[in-house]
Amino acid sequence: MALIVAEDLAKSYGKVVAVDSLNLTLDEGSVTGLIGPNGAGKTTTIKMILGLLKPDKGWVKVFGQDPWDNTAIRSMIGVVYEKAFFPAHQKTLEYLQRVCRIFGVSESRAMEVLEMVNLQEASDRQIKALSAGMLQKFAIAHALVHSPKLIVADEMTANLDPQARSELLEVVLQLNRDEKVAFLLSSHILPELSRVCDSVAIINRGKVWAFGKLSELYEKYAVGIIRVTTDSSYALEAEIRKLNYVKGLESDIRGISVRVVEGKEDELYEDVPKLAKKIKAKILGIETGSASMQELYRLAISAKERK
Amino acid sequence: MGKGKPFLEVLASAIHEDYRFPFLEIFAFLYALGTFVFASFGVSITAIGATSQAMATANEVIAYGAVSSILSLPLLILIILVFKNIAYGLGSDLEKGIIQTYFSYPLKRWGILTAKLLSALGVALLLFLGIQISALYILAPDIILPQLGTVFLTYAASLSYPLLIAGIMLLLTLKLRRGGISLVVGLVLYFAMSMVSGIATIFAIFTENPVSLQIISAISPSLVLQQYYIASLGDFWAPALSEVLLYTGVSYVIVAAVFALGYTYFSRRLNL
Repeated sequence: MALIVAEDLAKSYGKVVAVDSLNLTLDEGSVTGLIGPNGAGKTTTIKMILGLLKPDKGWVKVFGQDPWDNTAIRSMIGVVYEKAFFPAHQKTLEYLQRVCRIFGVSESRAMEVLEMVNLQEASDRQIKALSAGMLQKFAIAHALVHSPKLIVADEMTANLDPQARSELLEVVLQLNRDEKVAFLLSSHILPELSRVCDSVAIINRGKVWAFGKLSELYEKYAVGIIRVTTDSSYALEAEIRKLNYVKGLESDIRGISVRVVEGKEDELYEDVPKLAKKIKAKILGIETGSASMQELYRLAISAKERK
Repeated sequence: MGKGKPFLEVLASAIHEDYRFPFLEIFAFLYALGTFVFASFGVSITAIGATSQAMATANEVIAYGAVSSILSLPLLILIILVFKNIAYGLGSDLEKGIIQTYFSYPLKRWGILTAKLLSALGVALLLFLGIQISALYILAPDIILPQLGTVFLTYAASLSYPLLIAGIMLLLTLKLRRGGISLVVGLVLYFAMSMVSGIATIFAIFTENPVSLQIISAISPSLVLQQYYIASLGDFWAPALSEVLLYTGVSYVIVAAVFALGYTYFSRRLNL
């Protein structure tokens, strides 16, 4: 069963188009990553899914229902916003106990969720006294209080240190594995998503540019990738781009990921040193390898842009 | 999962924030100060000020004078408290995202707004009326008890304007969604309305034409009430009790319309 179905979703802020004809499906028990650059439309999409924003066009159904002002849906969703805010002058445990009463669950659950995010020692602190990272952990504990079937999180790990991120991702994996909780996670920290997500939606300029199981996306976009490590990526990139069998390439300071037409890998191995010699660039290595999530994202975007 | 009590919990949370120490203590003290200190002088001064042109009886005028003497300063304090709670409190909640957090609870949008308003406005009114009624009962039971109708009408007429201000503040806050800006715009608007009211009163006195006063009375019926009881603006306008009731009724219809607009916007249009 699909937990979230969005079809032809569109939202503009004045003349700025934030989301345009977006289609998305999230299945039960899945962990789906929503990835894209700043301003891609991730937060707007999430807000429409949560019923905080009304779409200008199209529709979204969550658990088969319209999410706008829908209390039944709210009982089944846990939400973590990018910037978490709670009534500042209340104590963490007391506020979570209040949330327990709101959702009609036992108040002992409040301490349980604080322990899950390793925040039990701050149970007596006022919310306003929490650091940014602690506040984010608190937001996650807050989202877990009523044991939701789906957790929607916008940049959930944004304010956390690496260890806390790692612990939290473990919590995500554990909840997904043991309690079949589905997640929709938006993030720009792509390696994290590759650790927990089974599906990814690549969103750019308000549209889903690629969506599917991670394995399918790798197969579609990341086959035939050759990584060229060089001391002058950008100059060499311009030369490689001229080769007619190159399907896509992305460069960064350390090197270039080149995607070639199937069967042309050997040709690239021969051509790259020649091109490097021509522009006096130094080749540090050429190897065939699997793409990282970052590369997958870039490849998907560039493949779509070429179309 | 059992059925929770989201409304009461959101209300309790809102009260906790709106009246955290020392706000409740300070405003309760100011209410009490404004009520009891001014009461002892107000009754006699107003009673003396009652004129022969008034449509009401002497006992009604005295009761009206007693109530209005203890009303004036606490009413201003009430407006300040409402400004703090609605413009700054609700505005900051919208600005910071606390309302967004409330929107993740199984409570309808109108329920969330009701909880916020009950805290911001309801508790402020309860505090105000509690101290006022206690003061009247303690200071002047013999004047007040036989004239409960006058007392009720005076409060009803005097409170509709602050309620209208609260409603306008709500609309402004929902639109601006910034605590500080809402507060400033609200204060400017309040003083602008007070100035318009003052100019309309002066205009009416000079022209001896009550139309401008009648228009102002539709949003602030304490003016028509004052004219009915003590005719302080002159004898060019001598409203009957039915007129007072009509203006008071109309003012509450306007208040209800403004709040209905706020609820509709919050429930159906507010994008966060």
